[in-house]
This record gives sequence, C-alpha cells and structure tokens, in this order.
Amino acid sequence: MDLVDLIAEKRFLGQEFLTWLWWKSEERGGVVALPGEGDVVVVFEKHMLLEYGEGDSNESLVCRGLQTELQEARTGLVMGKKLEQARIKLAFNDYEWNFTMAAALMEFRNVKLPKTGGESGNENDPEEREGMVLERIYLFEELIRMVLGLFRIFLHLRVSPEWRDELLKVREWVNRAERA
Amino acid sequence: MGFVKGTASYVRFAVEGELPDNIWDFIADRITSFAFRDIDETYEEDSLGWVSVTNMFDTDFKYASYAAGNFVTLAMRFDERKVSASIVKKFVQKEEERIKKEKQIPKISRSMRVEIKERIQNELIRKALPMPSVFDLCWNLENSTLLFFSTNQKAQSMLEDLFKESFGLTLVQQIPYICAEHLLGEDEVDRLARITPDVFV
Repeated sequence: MDLVDLIAEKRFLGQEFLTWLWWKSEERGGVVALPGEGDVVVVFEKHMLLEYGEGDSNESLVCRGLQTELQEARTGLVMGKKLEQARIKLAFNDYEWNFTMAAALMEFRNVKLPKTGGESGNENDPEEREGMVLERIYLFEELIRMVLGLFRIFLHLRVSPEWRDELLKVREWVNRAERA
Repeated sequence: MGFVKGTASYVRFAVEGELPDNIWDFIADRITSFAFRDIDETYEEDSLGWVSVTNMFDTDFKYASYAAGNFVTLAMRFDERKVSASIVKKFVQKEEERIKKEKQIPKISRSMRVEIKERIQNELIRKALPMPSVFDLCWNLENSTLLFFSTNQKAQSMLEDLFKESFGLTLVQQIPYICAEHLLGEDEVDRLARITPDVFV
C-alpha cells in the first residue's frame, strides 16, 4: 500500500491512540507509567480538535478552555467524534514539554521545550553554538522517545485480546461524560 | 523555523538507503553540489537548495558548520517569483483592450487571448521579486532518522525530492502506522494489519 492510501486508511490509529492516552492520563490523575522509565506526567489541556467522518462529510469541533472545561470535548467523544489534536503537557525527569499532537500524521506542533540552563550562552562561539544545538536536538528527540514509549503501550494492548477489556473501560469513561 | 530558537513544529522521517564509508566527505560534496543559488539578479522563476540553519545567505557554511555531533543540520531554502491571479487578470485585460483599440477589432480570438495571457504572465513573473521560504532539518546519522521543522505538506514533498536528488536516499514519513510497524514484533504487525477502527462509545 502506498503512503497516501496508508495515511487515509490507517488515520484512525493515531486518533485512537490520542483518545486512549487522554483516558489513560485521567485514569491515574495525570500520570502514566512507562515501563523501564517510571511515571510520566501527561496532562491534556486548553485546546482540542475532534473530527467526525471522512472526505466531504468531515466535521470538526474545536474546544478551548482549561482542563476542567474540556467537558465539551468529552461530549464530542460521546457523539462518536475522534480526537485529532490536543495540547499536552508532558513532564519527565525534571523536564517539561508543552506541545500539540496532531494524531493522524503524528505531527509535533508548537513544541515548547523544557527550560534548561544552557540558553544564555554566546551564540557567536562555534563550540557553544554547537552545544546549544545539540541540547535542543536532544530535547526534541527525547519528547519523541517518550511519546513513542506511550504509543508502544497502546499498540501492544490494541493488537492483544486484552484490548476488549481496555475498550470497555474507555467506553465507560466516555459515557460518564454524558451522565455528568 | 523553531529548530534553533523558540517553539517548534516538526515531523519525523526515516532515512532509507546506504551511505558510503566516507560519510562526511560524501555529505560535504553533495551539500556543495546542491547548495542554494541566488536568483535575485536573474529572471529564473524559482530556486531550491541547502543553506545554513543560522543564516539563509550562508551557502558555503563559513559561519556555522552543518555538522553537530552525529547530526547534520541544514535548512532548505526555496525562492519563488509569484504573481497573484488578480494582477495577471488585470494586466491581461488591459493588454486586450490596448490591442482591440490598436487593431480596431471588436473581439479578440481565443488563440490570441491564450498568447496574450502567456506573454503577460511571463513579463510579470520576471518583474516579481523572489519570495524566500526556509525550512530547517536535523538528520540523525546514527539511527537514520530526520526531523523536519515544518508541517507544510508542499514543503515536505519538496524536501523528499531534494534529499533524494542530493544524497540518493529516500525519506519515509513516520506516520503512526509506519511507526507501529517498527515498535511491534512480527506477529503483532500481522495482527495490526487486520485491525479496523473501534467505536469508543
């Protein structure tokens, strides 16, 4: 299958991951355990975009607000919409990233890197400049590593028989939004 | 932007293909061959090539090397002369009116209309100033991945072509399904191929 068909046909995979991650982060009050790494703080905040349908019949719903006001987005899930974009705070090992994940293509948008001590260096010094660049690359790649770690947990479940039970729990969480 | 400073948007690609043993010599040679060429003083319609991530006028990397540890950091620069459709329309109509008056004819033939449009469009493009766009990238030589700092699909497609032409290597965008194939075992990949969307309510 070529890339264009793969993108269209498997678009749901990234969106299901993002929706599952939202539930997973709320299950333990904003913390997800990453095997071999420890606890990672994952908080969904401020901005979400949900999608429904494909092609011409595609509808989208944008929700903005603080964490507690994401009720509308939860209601969107009840309507069968899928989470396509979300603003996420991810913290691990004293580092904190803020970024928007666009799920279908796994794009990292408006990534705000953790604050480090290395930002006041002299940019004109080639060695210091290289050090600053390497530090930024490390932080960009570390964010990807964390997200792929979370994606791996989802994938193992998604293709296993345990997914049925996991799905029931996610559905219960989604439906709680309707009753709330 | 965003690679060197501030907030950034990026996507990940896998770099597929073999590099020769003398990696850095090869890369240096290919970057020089495909460095950006300025078209400000010419009439060329567009130009695409590599520049430094810190300075878009630095095409021979005098001020900052593209090498940082095991990474190649580059910017793809694309300059293009563009004229908006409404400007073309205006000048085509103006020219048609001038010709009608000069030749004292009530209507312009279809073939002449095509010829006028083509000529006016070319004249306007030659007069337009090249508009620059710059997109950063960071190529990890150790694990053959690349971060591209733009989510613009046209820019991504230009990058795939320029990268292939420059280094003879293919970029494959790491969409979730392709990432998944790398993260799962063989049996799991077979099962993944068979899953269909689930309803979450």
